[in-house]
Amino acid sequence: MNARRLGCLSGTGLIAGTVTLVILGLGIWLGGGRWFSPGDLNARSGAPLGGVTSHAELAGNCSACHVPFWSADTMAGRCLSCHTDIQAQLQDPQSLHGGLGTQLAVSACRDCHTEHLGSDGVLTRVGADFPHEVTGFSLAAHQQNVETGQAFACQDCHLNGVQTFEGQVCADCHMRLDAGYLQQHIQTFGNACLECHDGVDRFMAFDHQQTRFPLQGAHQVLGCDACHLGMSTMAELVNTPTTCYACHAQDDAHQGQFGTDCAACHTPQGWKPASFDHNATNFPLTGGHLGVQCSACHVAGQYAGTPTTCYACHAQDDAHQGQFGTDCAACHTPQGWKPASFDHNATNFPLTGAHGTLPCVSCHASGTFAGLSTACASCHAEPTYHQGLFGLECAQCHTTNAWRPASFNGAHTFPMGHGGAQTCSSCHTTTLSTYTCYTCHDPAKTQKEHNKEGITDLSNCARCHPTGQEGDD
Amino acid sequence: MRRSGANELLLALLAVLLITIAYAAVVWWQGSLPAASDWLGHSLGAIGLFLMLMTETLYSLRKRSLSARWGRPATWLKFHIFTGIVGPYLAFLHTAWKFQGVAGAVLLLTGIVALSGFIGRYIYTAVPRTIEGAVMEEDELARQIEALEAELNAGLSGQPQNLWALAQWLGAKQSSSSEVGSVLGRAWNDWRETFIWWREKRRFNPALRPALNRLEGYIRRQQQLQRQRASLAAARRLLSLWHTIHVPLGVVLFLLAFVHVGAALYFATFLH
Repeated sequence: MNARRLGCLSGTGLIAGTVTLVILGLGIWLGGGRWFSPGDLNARSGAPLGGVTSHAELAGNCSACHVPFWSADTMAGRCLSCHTDIQAQLQDPQSLHGGLGTQLAVSACRDCHTEHLGSDGVLTRVGADFPHEVTGFSLAAHQQNVETGQAFACQDCHLNGVQTFEGQVCADCHMRLDAGYLQQHIQTFGNACLECHDGVDRFMAFDHQQTRFPLQGAHQVLGCDACHLGMSTMAELVNTPTTCYACHAQDDAHQGQFGTDCAACHTPQGWKPASFDHNATNFPLTGGHLGVQCSACHVAGQYAGTPTTCYACHAQDDAHQGQFGTDCAACHTPQGWKPASFDHNATNFPLTGAHGTLPCVSCHASGTFAGLSTACASCHAEPTYHQGLFGLECAQCHTTNAWRPASFNGAHTFPMGHGGAQTCSSCHTTTLSTYTCYTCHDPAKTQKEHNKEGITDLSNCARCHPTGQEGDD
Repeated sequence: MRRSGANELLLALLAVLLITIAYAAVVWWQGSLPAASDWLGHSLGAIGLFLMLMTETLYSLRKRSLSARWGRPATWLKFHIFTGIVGPYLAFLHTAWKFQGVAGAVLLLTGIVALSGFIGRYIYTAVPRTIEGAVMEEDELARQIEALEAELNAGLSGQPQNLWALAQWLGAKQSSSSEVGSVLGRAWNDWRETFIWWREKRRFNPALRPALNRLEGYIRRQQQLQRQRASLAAARRLLSLWHTIHVPLGVVLFLLAFVHVGAALYFATFLH
């Protein structure tokens, strides 16, 4: 023997290697792949699938489930080639495996299913992230065991493995929580809990739409106990009040001011938006009132008994500071404060003539409306033309249409309308206390004519001509 | 030799401890043992096999390479021991406590070969070697024994008479076991001599303790060389016998390991 030769190439090494290979070859020839199995396959029998009734019958036939890594086939594909029912489920999102496919993006059966754990080993092993609702029973209401204070573990309910569930588990556990209630409940409805309950207290297979209270809107997502709290008999369930207020009295933001007929304004979709018909009240909303928030008038949630007078809300808006009283509607409309339609003719100073076209401030300067004098002189100062001859009773001569023409009816020694005169100023050109005839009569010609008679004072014509006639003396 | 041998053992045990802590952390975190087929399990197996392959090949190649200059054989032996402990431990963790079929046989053989390695190491160190690792022949051992006697006599000159008497008494207190017994039982003999020396030294004045310690060193080295000289042939026979058993076990182990790996690659790579 060469001392430099590696041990594996020594005689004993070669013999041992050869014997090993022979024994291994014989073993594989006789037993197939059993030599490479990391553990026995599950021996639980079921319906024949793929020619076998249990995985254990596939022992030694590794390629029944395993594929070489270069193969286009997959282990999941091998599973589904036998488990055709699961293959069909995967096409149905409503099924257990179909639901898993959409929720977990499950790409391989072995994410949940195991093998080689012994002839009685578990075939399904799932973790806390398993979406239990796909089984038809949500764990939403089973997050924490109220008895232990710990999170629920699979085995708390699945006493014999996750693939099985004994319905009695529900009753056993819940009996410890409230025996009286559950006994009555089971007596009324039976002990097949899962036929009605899906883990979030939704009745399964129970069609609430067929009852006298079809579930609509937000009612559809509520847990049963939201309305049927504490009810454990059919009679209690059937006789559950159907009025809104029976359940929602405590939700009434209006504190009863609108009565108890919530549906008059609200729908099962939600409290908002609400559709209150204000026109059905004694204060229909028009104009600017349509665009304001409810709370603008109904302060502090006060609805019933809200005053309907304008001034009740708009007192602080009164630009007239109460001078026109509190009946805003006498002048204003709900469309807006402007334009306003004040009827001055209803006052003690109807607007006539030129007064009707003037802006209010022409008379009501400084925003003063009430208590103004109606005398002409309170607005119109006596003109110097009058020379104080007529007092302040303008209306004796003038109308509200215009200052002119005026209609003087007082004593006038000289005939008015002389020579076709139309206005006072025809003769009284500067003031009413003076006059001139030379507006019409040529002074030069008049002087020439009077010079013939030796008359030189031509300043007071009416003294010699009191009627305006040539023959007057 | 004993001290240098302890280093790689301590390092290996430290590595095993660290690996165990990391493994326990993973078990605690995921709540179960890492399956042999998952990423960590496969990694443990692959690294373990790689270390075991290094154990099996590198030291053997170095021993057989006359012209090699990369490292002394003794250093390679340390590496051999380190990988020979850590590799099998990783392979053991890789199993996830499943010992079935070829994989189970591989693990069983791994344990046997590793244990055999400890036995071989024990026998190997019974054969006296130079610092380069070369086996000492009997005449070299005789020369070293004579040199030690001269040193002992020189060391005892001027020492109290009772030290001479102690040296003569302890020097004559040789184990009477057979050659094979001397090889396999030397650990026991070492421990027994240590105890005797400790007991005898307590009877002397503490002021003589340094002289006693030097005396113990001379005499125990002398006795060791004498035992090795007497059991040299037996140690070589045992080492040869051990090789005859160990090598085939190793061959079978690695053949089955390769078959196991091949099957795993074929059937379970990526488990796709």
